[in-house]
Amino acid sequence: MSEQDVTRRNFMIRTIIGIGAFIGVAISVPLAGFGILPVLRKRDAGWSDAGTAADLLTDEPQERRFFQMVKSGWQEERMERTVWLVRKADGSVTAFSPNCPHLGCGYRWFSQDKQFKCPCHASFFDIDGKVIAGPAPRALDTLPAKIESGKVLVKFEIFQVGTAKKTAA
Amino acid sequence: MVKGLLDWLDERIKIRDLWNDFADRPIPGGSSWFYVLGASLLFIFSLQMITGILLAMYYAPTPDHAYASVKFIEEVAPFGSFVRGMHHWGASFMMVLVGLHMIRVFVFGSYKKPREIIWVLGIGLIAIVGGFAFTGYLLPWDQKAYWATVVGTNVAGTVPVVGGVLLRIVRGGTELGAFSLSRFFAIHTYILPWSLALLAGLHVFLLERAGAGGIWNAADRVPYKAEPLFPNQIFKDTIFIAMVFIALAGLAVLFPAPLEPQADPTDSTYNPRPEWYFYFVFQMLKIFEGKLELLGTVILPNLGVAVLLLVPFIDRSPERDPAKRKLMMTAGALFVATVIGLTIAGARAPIVNVPAVTSPSVLAGREIYARNGCSACHSIHGKGGKIGPDLTHVASRRPDADWHLKHFRDPRAVVPGSIMPKVDLSDRELRELTDYMLSLR
Repeated sequence: MSEQDVTRRNFMIRTIIGIGAFIGVAISVPLAGFGILPVLRKRDAGWSDAGTAADLLTDEPQERRFFQMVKSGWQEERMERTVWLVRKADGSVTAFSPNCPHLGCGYRWFSQDKQFKCPCHASFFDIDGKVIAGPAPRALDTLPAKIESGKVLVKFEIFQVGTAKKTAA
Repeated sequence: MVKGLLDWLDERIKIRDLWNDFADRPIPGGSSWFYVLGASLLFIFSLQMITGILLAMYYAPTPDHAYASVKFIEEVAPFGSFVRGMHHWGASFMMVLVGLHMIRVFVFGSYKKPREIIWVLGIGLIAIVGGFAFTGYLLPWDQKAYWATVVGTNVAGTVPVVGGVLLRIVRGGTELGAFSLSRFFAIHTYILPWSLALLAGLHVFLLERAGAGGIWNAADRVPYKAEPLFPNQIFKDTIFIAMVFIALAGLAVLFPAPLEPQADPTDSTYNPRPEWYFYFVFQMLKIFEGKLELLGTVILPNLGVAVLLLVPFIDRSPERDPAKRKLMMTAGALFVATVIGLTIAGARAPIVNVPAVTSPSVLAGREIYARNGCSACHSIHGKGGKIGPDLTHVASRRPDADWHLKHFRDPRAVVPGSIMPKVDLSDRELRELTDYMLSLR
């Protein structure tokens, strides 16, 4: 090949690589954005009706099931949820997320021991949610709750488990 | 680092030989802008695969959710409109480029010995691309999707004897529904991509075996010239691919893929039209009526495909120079002209269904509406004034005839504070005007 041929060949190869890189970048940015960004959106939880407040006994946690309307993308789903409600002597209500902050198992209240106990790895919590024993890294997660016209309203959220800090998932 | 890896691979799988075999493949007569079409099709196919996979991440192939999920892609998801636009326009580009590619091969006589099989595979590929387009546009479950598929699948129903069964197999039932959508989705995303990938792979691999045809008179040219595939031809391919990509991205941004209202099987006012690349079929369905219908729906399309498949076996002379193949060139030109002519005729076909006008009293009411200058204050389908409420869908809000009659006689009696004047017409005319209102759904 003559010197001119070599230069021409190099020019063509460089152009091929350049255009390839340009198309690669130009298409992968929107595609990556489209593939990833929609799932990173935070869901905006609304208040859900978790039943009447009058049935709750003071210092006797009760599990409540209710439905929460959840919007995922285009679809609104009716999701069944559960929370633990604790009524204090002053009449206020605390709502605990039903998942153990260790690894997310469902825990239960044992009235005779006055403890919440998680069946998976034996984390125990007192009535205020504080860790008494076991591997749980933080207290039980509280959810925003209020009483309105005799009903307990809860803002249901899901939290990351296994961390010392409570963060929304 | 790279060199080390290449050495490692070379020692084991002789990767440099593989690359050189590919790169140094000679093109008789040299590289040419005419040969960029096949490579551009490979490029668009890859693009369709990638955008399609990403669309499938948000799309739900059920009648309950398909439309909402496409609307979500189009309006909410970041870059969603762009990705869907690329996929939508990619389909049109594929149709155009596949047509041009076939014409190029035909004119250059490249389908002749030893490349007959490659031509046959190419016809198969065109059929697959058509299948992609047909199954793809049902998926958004909008009006166009629904009605074009109703018509398209009904074509299968016209096949003698087995038509009814065929129709049910294609649709997944007697009418379009959940099964149609899921099976169209399965065909569009599993069956066709794999078929296309396999067939296209074979198409390229066998071309590699048979050798590129190049220009027809390459052997007679003095001095003999042949250029390697890489970088000479790949360079031209890449430049063309860049142009295709820019055009595609530009269209996706400037003209996003349309999304019509959600499919409504009860809507008799809609004018079904296929995508432009099926206009020629659409037009053919209109030309042949009654007993001749079969000619348009089954016989001619199949005959067309059969003729295309047989081209390299009918025309077996080794002559490749188009100037010396006058008969074939004429036949080819006629074929292309027919398809283009039918496409244009299909595109210009008048809209048969004037929206929502059916009964004579509705027609009369429309007359009255126009004569009395109602449109000075009200608009219907974007035409008219803005002082009064838009009446385009008035019947959805006010489906009650008595309400309209009362309202026309004395608007303030029904709508307190209304500034609309009383409509001073005979009872019969008011009734006709009401019928017209009720037709606006």
